[in-house]
Amino acid sequence: MSFTQIARSCSRLAATLAPRRVASGILIQSQASRMMHRIAVPSMTSQLSQKFGVRSYSAKSTIEDIKFRVLKVVSAYDKVTAEKECRGRWQTQLVRRYSAKPPLSLKLINERVLLVLKLYDKIDPSKLNVESHFINDLGLDSLDHVEVIMAMEDEFGFEIPDSDAEKLLKPADIIKYVADKEDVYE
Amino acid sequence: MAGREAVKRAVQQVRPILSVDREEARKRALNLYKAWYRQIPYIVMDYDIPMTVEQCRDKLREEFVKHRNVTDIRVIDMLVIKGQMELKESVEIWKQKGHIMRYWKESQDPKPTDFLSKFIQGVN
Repeated sequence: MSFTQIARSCSRLAATLAPRRVASGILIQSQASRMMHRIAVPSMTSQLSQKFGVRSYSAKSTIEDIKFRVLKVVSAYDKVTAEKECRGRWQTQLVRRYSAKPPLSLKLINERVLLVLKLYDKIDPSKLNVESHFINDLGLDSLDHVEVIMAMEDEFGFEIPDSDAEKLLKPADIIKYVADKEDVYE
Repeated sequence: MAGREAVKRAVQQVRPILSVDREEARKRALNLYKAWYRQIPYIVMDYDIPMTVEQCRDKLREEFVKHRNVTDIRVIDMLVIKGQMELKESVEIWKQKGHIMRYWKESQDPKPTDFLSKFIQGVN
């Protein structure tokens, strides 16, 4: 419940009370307590009652009195969330920084490229090394080559244009290309 | 005179559909393959077909390999255009589940080969 909502419900309460100022205290109290219950969330009721003691409204209480009390509750409500920070801390824990990537090195790129190729089921891992040609040595066709390039795109998270893709015929080419793109050097 | 005419007709250039050389046609075909390959998981999800992504990729490869011996650039272009149209239809959900499942030809009976079943079905 936001501050404005609470304030609005307070004014509504005041408006309903205004013509019945002379009515019995019990009625006012029951109504007021109902409204107060709407304001205070269940987890806070114990705290609030501790802070403000038992509320007793007499028939003499004016609109100003009620307004004052309600506004006090409202301000206390705001202070509680600000002080306890339970919500704030919970949010900061969830924030992750997506802009940063783990640092790459040539060795790491090499390992990742070879791992992707080893996991590709049409390549025989025993034949694979950095200098083996995809089509001549490893026996892939052009469609497999496209798939390999797509797997590399997925692995390193950037798109390889077709004009570059057709030149990447060896794992070494891919490693060099990725290192160029990611600005990795010795 | 007649000889020159014949030579002229033999070397006459056909008007290209899209690609002017084999390399360009090849590039288009591979591009189409890539687009389909990337789209397949979404097609499987959207159409809720009882196939896995791997099965669909096998089928995709099969469809491409079916035309591996095509050498005419214009024919390749035409096939690529058709493939693009099909991809567009699948992406926009202009197709329905049955249209996707038709690639597997599950409901299509194989053609009869021996004499008697040909005779019974009335085909030669």
